[in-house]
Amino acid sequence: MKAPRVNTVRSRLLLGSGALIGGIVAIAVLALLSLRALRQAVTEETALLSQVAQLSTGILAAAFDEVRAAELYLSEPSQQARVQFQQSADETYEFGERLRALPRLAEEQRAAIARIGDLQQQVQAAYSYAHALRDLGRDQRAQAAVGAAREPATQMMRLVRTLSANLSAQAEQGGTALLVRADERELLVWVVLALSIVLAGGVSIVTLRSVEVPTERLGLAVQRFSAGDLRPIHLGTMPRELAVLGDAMSRVGTQLRSLVQEVVHESERISATATDLSAVSQELAATASEVSTAMVDVSRGAETQVGGLEAAQSAVERLAASAGSNAELARRVAERGQDIHRLAARYQRDVAAAAKALLDLGGVVQQSARQVDALDQRSESINEFVDVIKQISSQTNLLALNAAIEAARAGERGVGFAVVAQEVRELADSSGAAAEEVAEHIRIVRQQVSQVAETMATGRIKVQGVEEVAQGAARALEAIGGSVSEVEEAAGRLAQAAEGNLTVVQEIRAVLQRVAAAAHAHASASEEVTAAAQEQGAATQQMAAQAGELSQAAQRLRGLVKGFRV
Amino acid sequence: MRMGAELAVAEINARGGVHGRRLALVIQDDSAKPEVAVTAARALYANPRVVAVIGHLTSAATLAAAPIYGGGRHPLAVVSPSASAPSLSRAGPYVFRVCPTDVEHGTRLAQFAIRRLGARSAAILYQNDEYGRGIRSTFSQEFLRLGGRLVSDDPYVPELSSFEPYLRRLRQRGGADVLLIAGTAATAQRILPTLDTVGLKPRVLGGDALSGLESFPRAEGVLMSSAYLPDRPGERNAAFVAAYRAAYLGQPLDHRGAAAYDIVYLLARGLDAVGADRRRLRDYLAGIGRTSPPYQGVTGTIAFDEEGDVPGKEVVVGVVRDGRLVMAQN
Repeated sequence: MKAPRVNTVRSRLLLGSGALIGGIVAIAVLALLSLRALRQAVTEETALLSQVAQLSTGILAAAFDEVRAAELYLSEPSQQARVQFQQSADETYEFGERLRALPRLAEEQRAAIARIGDLQQQVQAAYSYAHALRDLGRDQRAQAAVGAAREPATQMMRLVRTLSANLSAQAEQGGTALLVRADERELLVWVVLALSIVLAGGVSIVTLRSVEVPTERLGLAVQRFSAGDLRPIHLGTMPRELAVLGDAMSRVGTQLRSLVQEVVHESERISATATDLSAVSQELAATASEVSTAMVDVSRGAETQVGGLEAAQSAVERLAASAGSNAELARRVAERGQDIHRLAARYQRDVAAAAKALLDLGGVVQQSARQVDALDQRSESINEFVDVIKQISSQTNLLALNAAIEAARAGERGVGFAVVAQEVRELADSSGAAAEEVAEHIRIVRQQVSQVAETMATGRIKVQGVEEVAQGAARALEAIGGSVSEVEEAAGRLAQAAEGNLTVVQEIRAVLQRVAAAAHAHASASEEVTAAAQEQGAATQQMAAQAGELSQAAQRLRGLVKGFRV
Repeated sequence: MRMGAELAVAEINARGGVHGRRLALVIQDDSAKPEVAVTAARALYANPRVVAVIGHLTSAATLAAAPIYGGGRHPLAVVSPSASAPSLSRAGPYVFRVCPTDVEHGTRLAQFAIRRLGARSAAILYQNDEYGRGIRSTFSQEFLRLGGRLVSDDPYVPELSSFEPYLRRLRQRGGADVLLIAGTAATAQRILPTLDTVGLKPRVLGGDALSGLESFPRAEGVLMSSAYLPDRPGERNAAFVAAYRAAYLGQPLDHRGAAAYDIVYLLARGLDAVGADRRRLRDYLAGIGRTSPPYQGVTGTIAFDEEGDVPGKEVVVGVVRDGRLVMAQN
């Protein structure tokens, strides 16, 4: 509650005037108190001063009276003088006591008062004593006693006068002190006055500023609005009353700003759209003109195409006729080929039989040659066998010899054995001879085998020549057969191709007829398209013009809201 | 006075002190002179262990020292056993006394002279100072009031060479029934023989300043007023007198010692009640007889008025008999 309370013009004004009133009241109270204190001080001081004055003059007078009466009594004793002396003495004493009771006395003043008291006691006592002596008629002694009294009396009188003057001076000082105190109070009042003026001035300035500055800011904000500057306003802190106004202005500004921003945004969008539209329509126009140009070409091409197609149709008719004769020819070629083929196959079979017989002969010869060679090899191994037998018979002969020698050494008992050994020797000799004979026979056989082998080799070479001829004939026949087959095949393929050609040509003819019909339709349709394209081009150009106008309108709108700064 | 105080302190400490703390006396000698009294008062004031002052003996010293005790930031109560000057009543809130004022002495003496002695005429010799003037003034007022007649009224200073002229003039004037010596015992010692010389035989009266005169042979029969007499009736006083006599053999006992004894006990009570604080102790004293019950001491009932006086306290008149002051037939 405190902060908002202070933050209003009213509260500030109240505060300012409150401070001022408070200051004035404080001054008044202070001045009143000062006056009262001063009055009291003046009263007290005055009372004291009058007392001091009374006492100082009183003691002076009393002391004077005391001494005068004492002296009078001495010169002329009388009841009156005696009473006056006693009364004056009592008064002097009394004044002294009262002076001693005075407040705010300086040390030397107290000392002086005490001294005066002492002197007074002495003086009074001395005069009383002198009076007693005088009463007793002892005048001379009385005079002597008075002599003792006069010195302190003089001193007392001097002291009393000094004190009196001193007290008067003090009274003056008291007055001065009063003045000083009054001055101090006055100064205090002035200081408080100055302080409250400063305070009030400060509060006033603060209050004025707290009203003036926000008002100025509000004025500036209004000027900015009227100049079209709608940027946010910063009003800062201000008293509540003005803050309400400021808030309202801020809100108005915000709303205006958002409105203008929206308009600007919208116009920019329209402008952009119009520009796009214009560009698109121009493109469209260009495309349309291209289309119409192309369509003109198309319709011209379509006419040419129709003419071409008719020519192609007649050519195909001709092509179809020639294709039919081609197929016939091919069929005949194929038939001839088959005849040749049959013939060649027959010859080929004959030649192959002859060649086979020759080849069989060759095989026999070759087999014989291999048998001869094997025989030759066998006779060789027989030779080797004969050599072994010869070797065995020679060693057996040697053994039989050795056995005969041994038998001879054995004497009698060896006679039988010597006979056996002889027999073995003889056997060995005969097997040697048989082996020689075998070897001779084999040599002869081998010579004959060699002759046979040479003959067979010659026969084989001759058979091989026959074989080659037969094989060459067979190959030639086979080649003929192959060539005929190829011719046959080619003729077949030709016939087939001719057939296919004919079908294709017929298909082409049908297609050409359809194409020609389509071409006719096409030509008329392209003319229609051309006309439509030309119409569209005109419409597009109109649209482009309108888009331009729209764009210009958007530009004008933007220009209008450009005056606002947001 | 010192002996009375020391006796009381010894008794209290023998019983364990106050709250277990022993009392101690700080002694200063003022030589009965105001300027010395001021110095002594400053020393006592500056000592933080001093919580109250018993003293001074004389009015002049007490008056001079009173501003010291009552001033500054830590004022100190001063209780005099015997300063009887009337002006002491106005010496400030920190000054107390347990003796009656001179006014009461003078008045009491006048009443005694007229009523007990049947006196019709009186002569006065007064020391020309506050004390002498005080006694003289109250005596003469009361004496005249009761129908008496003043034959002479003479001041003196202690230095006076001879009292013979005054007394001879008194003789010339026909003498007086009573002679009031408003002065000290020393002066009285000079006056009494002079009376014989001159041939006068008045009954001699005096205030308590004549204390000590009883030991003077010529003093037989002299009447003097006092706040206290040792033969004052009462058990408490009897016990005190016995203790005093036992402690200080042969030492005279007067109202000052008895009053000092009472003051020590009074302060000990105060310390017990409010503790060792100067200001509180002063307030305690001021309340005695007003906010708290009076104190029954050996010297009588102590109850302070707002000026620190004891107006209700009796003044007795004693007579010198065989060198001792005894209660006169009051």
